Amino acid sequence: MLRASALTTNTEIDLQGINGDASAAAVGVEFGAELMQLGEAVAMGDEAQLSTARQQLVELAGAAVLVDAAGVAANFQRMVRIADAMGIPIDDMTTELGQQVRQELDLAKYETAQNSAVSS
Amino acid sequence: MTHFSYSDSPYPIRDDIKLEHRQYWQRLAGAGSWWSGDERVAIAAESRLASHCKFCAERRQALSPYNLQGQHDSAGDLDEVAVDAVHRIVTDQARISQRWVDQIADDGLSNAAYVELAGIVVTVFSVDEFNRALGLELEPLPEPVDGEPSRYRPSQAVGGTGFVPMITAEGATGAESDLYRGSRGANVLRALSLVPDAVRDWRRLASAQYISVEGMTNMVKQDDRVINRMQMELVAGRVSAINECFY
Repeated sequence: MLRASALTTNTEIDLQGINGDASAAAVGVEFGAELMQLGEAVAMGDEAQLSTARQQLVELAGAAVLVDAAGVAANFQRMVRIADAMGIPIDDMTTELGQQVRQELDLAKYETAQNSAVSS
Repeated sequence: MTHFSYSDSPYPIRDDIKLEHRQYWQRLAGAGSWWSGDERVAIAAESRLASHCKFCAERRQALSPYNLQGQHDSAGDLDEVAVDAVHRIVTDQARISQRWVDQIADDGLSNAAYVELAGIVVTVFSVDEFNRALGLELEPLPEPVDGEPSRYRPSQAVGGTGFVPMITAEGATGAESDLYRGSRGANVLRALSLVPDAVRDWRRLASAQYISVEGMTNMVKQDDRVINRMQMELVAGRVSAINECFY
């Protein structure tokens, strides 16, 4: 969806931000590094990391950005558990964009790839 | 008490988030399709224990999550099969398998009851994660409300997509015609459809915390958000990557 959004807005991005590269996350995305780090801290469940990420994002981007980002992070903590607990496959494995993104991020390494009949 | 006032928050919380959290708490307290209000609140309470469960931490390190024996740190208000399901969904969801879902059905946790349980776990977990992300105390759970589960199972649910039967995009008719409205019925939306009210909860919470189903095709920016879609998807992508979610 990040790639799709970037294509829609004709923005150059670097998908490696998804894999935790802060400088990549900042390419084309305002407050990208700080937003990525907040999402990472929420998913890691590390309170100290989360406190730092929250403070950095508030200072740089403001409280409203933090609240919106917290909502998205919380929502995807839910989404991933729905997807994996129900074992759903990717809706369409054949789209070129999806194939590119999965390859670029090396997603086939994940155990849940087998729900979409993918082996690493 | 009025839940989710967020009066202790140093950050202004949007009214739509307060409202959806509050309304979900009301629905959580009452009987669902397969669980009573008491049981639903007990599932919610158990989900909060899972994050700190020593056995779950040990099991996450194990090569296989199915061979290790042990006791969860549990409130003891649910049977062992349900407790284990709650804890797996919170702490080790990426290794849930078809075989395990079939096994718990044999052990008495039907597919439909499992789906409702999972819907409760992930929603409460998500609401809690929102508070935690902002450094806020968790909201006290609601008082259960008396009532009997409806035992409603949609007849059009069919197997073949994931671990449990689901309603197809074409099958969302009659009482379920609202389930995938405004969308093509992606698998992540269909996932909980064996319990249609769980999908309705899915949609409501997503509308507040992320974007509405109808707004998913807007790849630029939703008017009532301060972050744009790229910013949202960067956060979403990082959370998904940490959780090793292929979907």
